[in-house]
Amino acid sequence: MNNLALALTFSLVLIALFISYRQKLGMEKDMLIGSVRAVVQLSAVGFVLKFVFNIDNVALTIVILLLMVYNAAVVATKRGAGIRGVRLISFCSILAGLVITLGGLLAFQALSFNPSEVIPVSGMVVGNSMVALGLLYRNLLSSFKDRREEVEVKLCLGASPREAARTLIRNSIRTAMIPTIDSMKTVGIVQLPGMMTGLILAGTSPELAIKYQIMVVFMLTGAVTISGFVASFWVYRGFFNDKAQLVDDLH
Amino acid sequence: MAIFLFDQVSLKINDQPILSSISFSSEQGEIIGLAGPSGSGKTSLLRMMNLMRSPTHGSILYKNRDLAQFDPVKLRREVGYVMQKPYLFDGTVQDNLEYAYRVWGQTPNQPEILNYLERVNLSAPILKKTKSELSGGEQQRVALVRSLLAKPQVLLLDEVTASLDEANTLLLEEMIRSEWAAKSLTVFFISHQSEQLLRLASIVLYVKQGKLEYCGPKEDFFRQQGDLNDE
Repeated sequence: MNNLALALTFSLVLIALFISYRQKLGMEKDMLIGSVRAVVQLSAVGFVLKFVFNIDNVALTIVILLLMVYNAAVVATKRGAGIRGVRLISFCSILAGLVITLGGLLAFQALSFNPSEVIPVSGMVVGNSMVALGLLYRNLLSSFKDRREEVEVKLCLGASPREAARTLIRNSIRTAMIPTIDSMKTVGIVQLPGMMTGLILAGTSPELAIKYQIMVVFMLTGAVTISGFVASFWVYRGFFNDKAQLVDDLH
Repeated sequence: MAIFLFDQVSLKINDQPILSSISFSSEQGEIIGLAGPSGSGKTSLLRMMNLMRSPTHGSILYKNRDLAQFDPVKLRREVGYVMQKPYLFDGTVQDNLEYAYRVWGQTPNQPEILNYLERVNLSAPILKKTKSELSGGEQQRVALVRSLLAKPQVLLLDEVTASLDEANTLLLEEMIRSEWAAKSLTVFFISHQSEQLLRLASIVLYVKQGKLEYCGPKEDFFRQQGDLNDE
């Protein structure tokens, strides 16, 4: 694809801008900023990845992975604004999902620890965990607001905060996992995932591309479940104080 | 023995004063009626007794020990609380009545459950019903039974008969009175009805604008204040 062809694809964003303008969606500014950010961020990351892949240094790869986890945690934290300790919880939960699943793949020798394999796969895992945690926090915040009475009745019957919040936690984990489960069910039918398509476009045989994609699907499911589980059974504490009372100032 | 001793207790919620300088003591086995206009802080007063709220100032002693030193989860097993609006969980009445047993790791005692249900004029078939199949009165009776199955030593009742008809109100009162007589239960209940305070309470606490204006025998209270229903 030459640069002119790429530039012409921007016309699709212009169509979206036109629809937004005519329908008074008020999304034009966000679309323009998003488009510019996508171009700048992807161009920059292209150079960074080329540099990191060439150097092939373990420490640098780990630093890149930690930066990815940190950025994902910052974004997820915004969805859980008001919950005590949510940034640390997000960071540790996403890291736990990544370490366990990546560790498993390395142990099974499905992947080898070089940046060109580990970084793209980790990016998908971290991104999916980030979306899952965002959903988890939003669901928990609205559940604790809407079902406050239920939690209080359970506390009054002698339930511990964890027991009183159990149903809310369970529902929130389910909600957080829906996008991953749905995409696992429809992969190959509704959507051809980016990694597989990318590998095929780059000349890799479809068989190998499919193997990688199956691995990624399994990895995403494991990572999202682990991150969601760790975060939910940690973050619910932020809804209670040390006297096992529901806190008032959540928004 | 004083079961609760409030000493200069004040409460603020979001910097808004709710209760100020509340002092009183109550003996084990008393039935105490809390009266006062809506919004005067009665519910907050009850909620401090089972540590659903903590006082901003002052101290509360429970069985001669600082309430703040108690494990709140264990305390709430001793000090039960029933809300004005009965909140039944999703699932059947049986699930609701088994809740306290399950969270405490006990096996549900079915004869005990049936016995309590019979005492509030409910029978076994109701166990399979869900909350949407129950009337308001039935829900409130189930909520009371659910709290009593936890075998509290103190029962806090927040206007539990407010939305009930007379027959259901008298039924619940009878249940409360029989539990009190059988188990030396201490009962605190909020009520706006003079008749109910006269029927149930031995002591009346009258709270107005966050201050305790009266604490003493019901007879003296009604001699001084007249009929609450006129407020």
